Order: sequence, then structure tokens, then C-alpha cells
Amino acid sequence: MDRRLVLPVLLAALALGACGKKQPPAPPAPQVDTAGQGALREDSLRAAREAEARRRAEEEARARAAEEAAARARATIQAPIYFDYDEATLTDDARSALDQKVAILRANPDLRLRVAGNADERGSVEYNLALGMRRAEAAKQYIVGFGIDEGRIGTISYGEERPADPGHDEEAWAKNRRDEFEITAGGERITPPTTGGR
Amino acid sequence: MRRSLLLLGLLALPATPLAAQRDTTRLPTGVRLGLTYQTLQRPKLAVRPATGDGPAADIVQILQRDLDYSDRFVMADLIPEALRSGPVNYKAWNDLGVVWLVVPELQPDGRLKISLHDVVYGAVKQSQVFDLPAAGSPDFRLAVHAAADAVVKWATGQPGIAATRVAFVRRNADGGYSLLSVDSDGEDVRTLATVGTMLMSPAWSPDGRRLAYTRFTGSRWELVERDMTTGSSQVLLTRDQILTPAYSPDGRRIAFATWNGHNNEIDDYDVVQRCCLRRITHSARDDLSPSYSPDGRRIVFNSNRVGQPHIYVASADGGDADLLSPYTYGEPGYYTSPDWSPTGTQIAFHGRSRGEFQIMLADASTPGATVRQITASGRNEDPSWAPDGRHIVFSGVRDGGAGLYVVDTVTGRVRPLLVGGRYRVPDWSPILLSSSGLTAGPVSR
Repeated sequence: MDRRLVLPVLLAALALGACGKKQPPAPPAPQVDTAGQGALREDSLRAAREAEARRRAEEEARARAAEEAAARARATIQAPIYFDYDEATLTDDARSALDQKVAILRANPDLRLRVAGNADERGSVEYNLALGMRRAEAAKQYIVGFGIDEGRIGTISYGEERPADPGHDEEAWAKNRRDEFEITAGGERITPPTTGGR
Repeated sequence: MRRSLLLLGLLALPATPLAAQRDTTRLPTGVRLGLTYQTLQRPKLAVRPATGDGPAADIVQILQRDLDYSDRFVMADLIPEALRSGPVNYKAWNDLGVVWLVVPELQPDGRLKISLHDVVYGAVKQSQVFDLPAAGSPDFRLAVHAAADAVVKWATGQPGIAATRVAFVRRNADGGYSLLSVDSDGEDVRTLATVGTMLMSPAWSPDGRRLAYTRFTGSRWELVERDMTTGSSQVLLTRDQILTPAYSPDGRRIAFATWNGHNNEIDDYDVVQRCCLRRITHSARDDLSPSYSPDGRRIVFNSNRVGQPHIYVASADGGDADLLSPYTYGEPGYYTSPDWSPTGTQIAFHGRSRGEFQIMLADASTPGATVRQITASGRNEDPSWAPDGRHIVFSGVRDGGAGLYVVDTVTGRVRPLLVGGRYRVPDWSPILLSSSGLTAGPVSR
């Protein structure tokens, strides 16, 4: 072991030890104690404990809020967008959902996505694989149009092979004509966008 | 807000075509129901029980079914006891209305002698002795199928299609995909490959020795060629997306759809020299599902260049394309998966009609002519021609169950080939003289 490491480790251990000693109530002083002095001391210690608890609660709330914001950002990034029948043109809803993804991609330069295009079960298997690819590409091109590096956005198609809803009616089909967004890198810590995100 | 209202107004405009699209009562313009066929005089044929032991009964069953499935005869099923053996009594057979009598004899040396008797003329029309691999060996059924095809040829002068197989794709319960093949009579299902991701679009080479298909790696697609003789496979190309390969009739090139970064176009590739990739189609939208004409000079393919998918014919080198499927401005159309008949100018594809997909036929020599719809019940997709240019295998969801079906385009008869699963994208092989695809002969016409 490198000797240079030994000293800092020792110091850290001492510091930890010192901290540990501070936390339990201090041992009784050797002098003769009076009741008044003891009460004062108790009050003071309680106040300190309460202040510490408040500080921790605030810290936890902040951490929770940050976590929730990150989770919201993750959900926003992963939210599917939907298409009309046999169309790969982005709808207004799809565009506004992509706008939110762009804001998150800007705030997280390491974030990479894979867009998977999907189709409903109607039509031919192979044509739907081609259609899914065009749907994935439509989302990619829109995102890249905002200056996001195209190397960060991959595209694949599952055609009609992976329905989100196994049903055989318009309601199911509408849910299946979609792009899904999978985080392929940089998803461990997602920074929510400072502005623009909703 | 005002803009989205405007957009809503614009979206409301194509409401009429959308309504027509869901119309389940009328046929699309340019499509006629071709389900009433010319009444054909089909001669009655009987297969006499085979003499000899062992596989004799199996042989008769295979022959009988193959000849039935040729759709060229009316089969005599009940054969009187007195006619089951001994010298052929032409008068008695004639009284039963039988025109052709097949007499199979399993010889002591294990070979199969087939004689075709012309009952009307009271003479043997033709006979031949066939080598038979051991019963149970992979080539046994194919050898019997080849004998059945010989009978069809002797009686009608036309090729049989019994000695063929159909390759197709099955989605497995675990989400993976398998490439399978099945005999033309629905027996002997074999698994050729299984992947955990996607596998699509099998295509036989014209000599039946190779089978091309595409495979998803999880991020990209591979064009794979399987050697049917050795069972080994090679990856020919890897691209973001590769779909719908098809061999040229000389077996030298494979045309396929591939993603170019913006849309799918059709390329072709010299599969013998492993070189010389060429782009055949150029459009702003998707072009896929190429299929060559028998002379290799033209291709039929599917494109959504006018908005919805239609069928086009072009030179095999590219250039201007003629629209083949029915197109009426303002009326929705959806026509995909074309397959050019190996024997002529007919092109099979599927299209939406009365709310469901049906198999249709068009003549490549008369673009714009009315197309003929040859199925009317259930949902029917992905047609592939048999080497006789008469039968078509397709993927269907019908009353008989989901699976593969065969339709005879002359009589309109539909039979199940293999049901009980979502079997898809079938491709009918050429005539195979060995079940491994070892040797294949040209279709004699």
C-alpha cells in the first residue's frame, strides 16, 4: 500500500471517531451538578436535535423533489408518441411530446436514445416493418432538427411484432401505432431541464 | 389554438375515403370477385392399393393425396374389392367412370413401379420404376411425391407440384422466431433456424439449393443465405434494415428492400460473386417486396409513393414503374406483397377488400385492367406461387383456423396446408428432387 494514502485514511478514521463521540449525550461532568444547570443543558440539547431533524427533513425533501423531477424527466423521455393509420407523419401531439424530449436531451449531453417504430396488426408483416422504420426515423429527424447530435439517436423497427395492446379493435390499434423511446446510455442520472420542460 | 382548429378541419376532409375504407359491403373499384370459375371437365382418377409389404400403404396414401391436391382430377375414393388386385379390368373401371388408373407396385428390390392406365383406351399410358430411399429417411416422401408428379405429367402434360416444400416463419410462444419448411401436402414440418429476435422473408433460390432470409440482430438486420445441402448459413449483408429478398430466375442476384437512412429502397446484389450492389428503385417513400418476372427482365414490387401501398412493375434495372393495382383518386387502396408467377404474366398480391385482406391476381401485361379477387372469407395475406403457376400458398386467418392455405387459381378450391399457428410469409419452393434440396430439376412445361 502506498504510504501517502495511510495518513489521510488515519485522519479520516480519527475524524469519524470524533464525530461518533459527539453524537450521544456527553458524559456527566466531573463537577458537582445543580438542577438548574442540568435543565438548561437538556433544553439546549433538545433544540440542537430539533434543528438537526429539520435540516435533515429539508434535505430529504429536496432530494425527493430532485428524484421525482428526474423520474418525471425519465418518464417524459420514455413516453411513446402515436401515429395515424399507415402514416409516419408526426402529429401535433407527437411534436409537443418530442419538444419535451429535446429539452431533456439538451440538459443531459450523455443521454442516448433508441427509437423503436411500431405498427398496428393491419397490413402486411413486412410492409409494417418498413413503416415502423419510417416512424422511428420521423422522430429522430425531428429531434436532430433541434441540433441534437444524430449519433445520440438510434432507430429500429418492430413493425407489428410487439403490440402494446393485444386487442383487435381501433382502441388497441391506436395504442400500437407508436414510437417507443429506450434510454441506451446516460440514464443513471437524468438532470431535468431548467426551462422548457413541463 | 386557432391553428389546431384549422388542422382539425383539414383532417376532417379525408373522412369520405376513410369511411369507404371501412365499407365492408362493396368491392374496391377495379376489383372483381373471381370466385366463379369456368366449369372444367376434370377426369376421374383412381389409385389402386399397392402390392407389396412395408411402406406400400403409406405410398398409396401419399400418391392419392398428391394427385388430389394437383386439382387436375376428380378422385375415386371407394374402390370395389374385386378391382383391388389382379389384372386390370378396364370395363369395370370404365363403368365406374374412371378415366385414369394408377397402379403402384412395390417390387421385391424395394423400388416402386408406377403404371398409369388409360381406362378409355384400355392400355397402359406410361410406366416407370422409381428408386425409393428407405421408408422414414428424409428423402422417402419426396421420392413418392416425385412419382405423383410423374403421373400428373403423363396424364395432363402439365407439371405436378408434389415434390416441393414451403418455407415459412413462425412466431414462437417465447417471443422468438423460427424458420420452418413443410412438404406440399402439409406433412414433415422441419425447423431450419430459430432466433430470439426477429426472422423474416424466406426466399428459395430457383434451383432449390439455397434459401435466403433476413434476421434481426437486436440492432441491425442480416441477409442470410442457407445452403440447403449442407445446412450451413452465411451472412451476405448487414444493414439497418433488410426485408423481402428475392432471387433472380438465373439464381445469380438477390433483390431486397433496405433502409437507406430515409426510406426503404430496392437494391440488388450479385450473390455468386458477392459483389456489385446496385440500387434499383428511387423514390421518396418505401419500395419493398421485389419479385422477378420469369425472364428476369422485370420486377414487380410494392411502393407507397402515391401515399398508400400499391403494386408496380418496372425494368429489373430500375427506371419508370407502371402502376398495376387498382387506383382511383380519393379512394383508399392497400395492396402489398406481390409475387410474379414463375410461368407467365400473372401477379399475385393481397389487397384490402370489404374491410379485410384478400388474395388478388393481376396481369402484368395489362396494367390498369380489373384485378381478380380469388379469396373471399377470412383474412388472407402474403401469396406465393407454386412452380406450376397455378397454385398459391398464403397465410390466412379463416374458419378452419389460422395458418397456411393453398388456393387453386383455376378451380378456386382452397385447402389447409398447415393450421394451428400464426404461420407467415410463406415461400413455395421450386420442384425439388431431394428433400434436402440437393438436386432440383427445371419445371417442364
